[in-house]
Amino acid sequence: MTASALTRPGERERLVVKFGQIDWTLIVLLCLIAAAGGMMLYSIAGGAWEPWAAKHLIRFGLCLLLMLALAVVDLRIWFALAYPIYGLAFLLLMAVEVVGHRSLGATRWLQFGPLGVQPSEIMKIGLVLALARFYHGLPAPRAKWSWNLLIPAAMIGAPVLLVAKEPDLGTAILLAATGGAVMMLAGLSVRAIVAGLAAVAAAIPPFVMFVLKPYQRDRILTFLHPETDPSKSGYHILQAKIALGSGGVLGKGFGLGSQSQLNFLPEKQTDFIFATLAEEFGLVGCVAMLALYAAVIIIALRIANVSHSHFGRLSAAGITATFALYVMINGAMVMGLAPVVGVPMPLLSYGGTVMLTVMVGFGLVQSVRVHRYSEVGRGAGLI
Amino acid sequence: MTQPTIFFSEVNERQATFHRRAFVMGGLVGVGLAALGVRLFQLQVVENDRYKSLSASNQFNFRLVLPPRGRILDRNGVELASNRPNFRLLLLKDEAPDVEATLAEVSKLIPITPERARQIRRDLRDGPKFVPVSLAEDLNWDDFARINVRSAELPGVEADMGEARVYPFGGAFSHVIGYVSKVSDADVKRAGPNPDPMLLNPGFRIGKQGVEKALDLELRGKPGGQKVEVDSRGRVVREDPMGDIKPTPGKEVVLTLDADVQNRALEVFGEDSGAAVMMDCRSGDLLCLYSAPSFDANSFASGLTTAEYQALANYDHKPLFNKALTANYPPGSTFKTLVALAALEKGISPSTVHVCNKAWAWGGRVWHCDEAHGALDMKGAIAKSCDIYFYQLALQIGGPDPIAAVARQFGLGHVFDIGIPGQKPGIVPDLAYKRRNFPRDPVWHPGETPSVGIGQGYVSVNPLQLCVQAARLANGVRAIEPRLIHAIGGVVQPSGAAAPDLPFAKENIDFVRAAMAAVVTSGTAAGSANLGLGPVMMAGKTGTAQAHTYAGGHGQHGATGAWAGRDHAWFIAFAPYDDPRYALSVLVEHGGFGAEAAAPKAREIMRVALLKDPQVRARIERPLPMPAMPATPPGQRPEGAEPEPPTDIVAATPGKTA
Repeated sequence: MTASALTRPGERERLVVKFGQIDWTLIVLLCLIAAAGGMMLYSIAGGAWEPWAAKHLIRFGLCLLLMLALAVVDLRIWFALAYPIYGLAFLLLMAVEVVGHRSLGATRWLQFGPLGVQPSEIMKIGLVLALARFYHGLPAPRAKWSWNLLIPAAMIGAPVLLVAKEPDLGTAILLAATGGAVMMLAGLSVRAIVAGLAAVAAAIPPFVMFVLKPYQRDRILTFLHPETDPSKSGYHILQAKIALGSGGVLGKGFGLGSQSQLNFLPEKQTDFIFATLAEEFGLVGCVAMLALYAAVIIIALRIANVSHSHFGRLSAAGITATFALYVMINGAMVMGLAPVVGVPMPLLSYGGTVMLTVMVGFGLVQSVRVHRYSEVGRGAGLI
Repeated sequence: MTQPTIFFSEVNERQATFHRRAFVMGGLVGVGLAALGVRLFQLQVVENDRYKSLSASNQFNFRLVLPPRGRILDRNGVELASNRPNFRLLLLKDEAPDVEATLAEVSKLIPITPERARQIRRDLRDGPKFVPVSLAEDLNWDDFARINVRSAELPGVEADMGEARVYPFGGAFSHVIGYVSKVSDADVKRAGPNPDPMLLNPGFRIGKQGVEKALDLELRGKPGGQKVEVDSRGRVVREDPMGDIKPTPGKEVVLTLDADVQNRALEVFGEDSGAAVMMDCRSGDLLCLYSAPSFDANSFASGLTTAEYQALANYDHKPLFNKALTANYPPGSTFKTLVALAALEKGISPSTVHVCNKAWAWGGRVWHCDEAHGALDMKGAIAKSCDIYFYQLALQIGGPDPIAAVARQFGLGHVFDIGIPGQKPGIVPDLAYKRRNFPRDPVWHPGETPSVGIGQGYVSVNPLQLCVQAARLANGVRAIEPRLIHAIGGVVQPSGAAAPDLPFAKENIDFVRAAMAAVVTSGTAAGSANLGLGPVMMAGKTGTAQAHTYAGGHGQHGATGAWAGRDHAWFIAFAPYDDPRYALSVLVEHGGFGAEAAAPKAREIMRVALLKDPQVRARIERPLPMPAMPATPPGQRPEGAEPEPPTDIVAATPGKTA
């Protein structure tokens, strides 16, 4: 296919051409990460496909198909659906408050027949889309510093508060940080960024002491002094550090991680799967894994950069920011650098909801790439 | 597209900002990932050793392997306490899905009594989660094998071979050796903040009485470890035989006791209550330390039912009580030996004569004797055990203090270091005692002295003390100390022979010894204390100690009336008379007259010790020359045909019941 062929009107609308424009390197990297996850899940099940590894890979396959389908959805449709998706997610978050399904002391789920829906996950996509759409229509000076910025601040703040109230501190932090990243990318003044970060830093201690629930506060205080209580809250942190540290440079070998195999490591298949990887494959395996994540982030950011529309740029970069935050928060948590807040390692950890969110997100990123030359109107109305 | 220029410039400005900011964001992510990498390097390379050992201590555990408890032997190497294999059945709680079904299945194979089943359920409910519960102990091989074969059908049931304590002689040594039993909460608390991990093992038994308790730490040994791989819930995943640590067996304890002598004591006491203590009067080694009646220590080791324990605890002969050490009895006439010595040391002549008319009026009261002995010198008064003589002799001495000083030199009122707990010192009264203990009447009245002269009143002793008294009289030179523990783990304990000399004139001690010989040849114990071993003769002293005041029908003299009201019978002795080797004290609680109840028992126990002694045996078996005939040949007064003259009286001294 020649470049001239692509310039032919309507040529880019052809499905075959669209599939050709998908970034297949990104897909290969995502497949590698998911495969590593499947391998670790196989190992910690004592060398068995059940109960985790097989489901993990099947889910990934289905999510991959969904991603490919979303990749060819026209960016203008994403643009048109940005506010409705955000609105729907917001309504569902409110509904969780009223009729949510309680599990493990937190209300995060809505039950639709057999289907359990976590509105906070929809909000992760919805927030990025809505912010990208809002900034798409905002001139640069106003994006830098103006009264208009109260709107994105409210768009971020409202769902963050609702999610934090569930309580799901990890997701709330993720949403707030993603929103902040999009505002930063859209051109928020450096002064405002610095002031905002300072305000957040100053607000953390009183927030921890007075707003958090006791178990959340315990997690954070335990993180600061894990030795004080090695049998209860500090147990996760300590055991994860033992798993990581005992792995050494080359690791204990596939299926030979005593910390995870003998169940000393808690949540080994979900939040702490990176510790299992670290134990069995050592520093070499960890660095290779982080390199895979870095490559995904670089490619996704490059896709954002080549987009001709502001909406495309901001939505792709927003999704990338979410993904990077997942990786960094989980990594820091597993390595004892951050409190245990319940953020999984994307595509590596077992769990369908987060995988679905991440793959839908990358569907959006791929769509931005496929439709990088598309003109997106300023979109005066809601749709 | 109406204002393309403005539109594009605006777009370009936004695009440029985005590019810059995206670059910054990429950089921040890079910094973040690099920080994670540094942290990984720190944990996995720099601190790798530390976490490796933490991981290993998570992964591996040492399952406690109990050491065999040290054996307890007698002086000749006869086992008094040892261990035997114990086939038992354990139930691992977390591996038995349905405990009740398993119990029902097991009870089809071996009988489980309802009481046992209750106990098992209680253990299952209260015990720690991963500590197995014992279903049955001491299975015979057939039952053990049958359950082993069917183990696949009995989830969580494990056949196990442990060790159990066994006391081959049953009751003969129970008071000295004690017994072992399950560890109680109090034992764990007593062990302090870091109790020996063995204490928490269900198979471990702790010493509860006697030597087992006193030397528990030595007998225990050091636990070994079986290296096992465990999961986070502490369950064993794999075993690693290469990493096992062998347990160190407990130390072997050798006692000075002689199983034959002790067993003979058990036999002669039968159902009677009392105690017998025998000592080597040259070395101080205790050959016999028996309290009657006894109990089977084996039943304590395997666990008594409440009913069994109640039966022992409520029996009026008090089998759980070590009468050789803990009980305190008036010594009665055995005390006259020391009163006589005190008199001699005071310069009172042994030829002093007092006349006994069976009753003697002094101090506004009438004092009694068993019979009218007539005129007696000191030797005759000891031999016939005349109370009226000794009332007067005590008054002649002039008070309790000189008598108490002599009594203390012979071990009365003293607690000896024999290595096991539970001795009571008793009372050796003197002026200071009265002052200390009777604040309302701190003055010693002259009327209290005659009672002390016949070993009544405040005087109280235990059989061990009287044995030491007899042994020191027999030794004549040194104040030897009793010794029970001969060696611990091959280390011989200090002997009781290295003791200071007795501060008495030799001729005075010899006089008392001669008088004690006369007790057996012509005195109160003539006949009943005859060894029948030819030239080897015994010397001794009878005692019939008033247990209650006879006023008000509480008690009666001799072996009549209600058991608990009768007199205590004593006999102290040493033999051979001319070359003393063994000293003995025998107490028969509420046995009546010393010559009737205690002396024959003493004779039988002494015979065993003498016949085991090769030198004594050589003397007996030598045919010539014929020994001098005793003054009263045996058989002339057949035992029991005519009662021996009662020895003691019974001074009605109000408020001085022993």
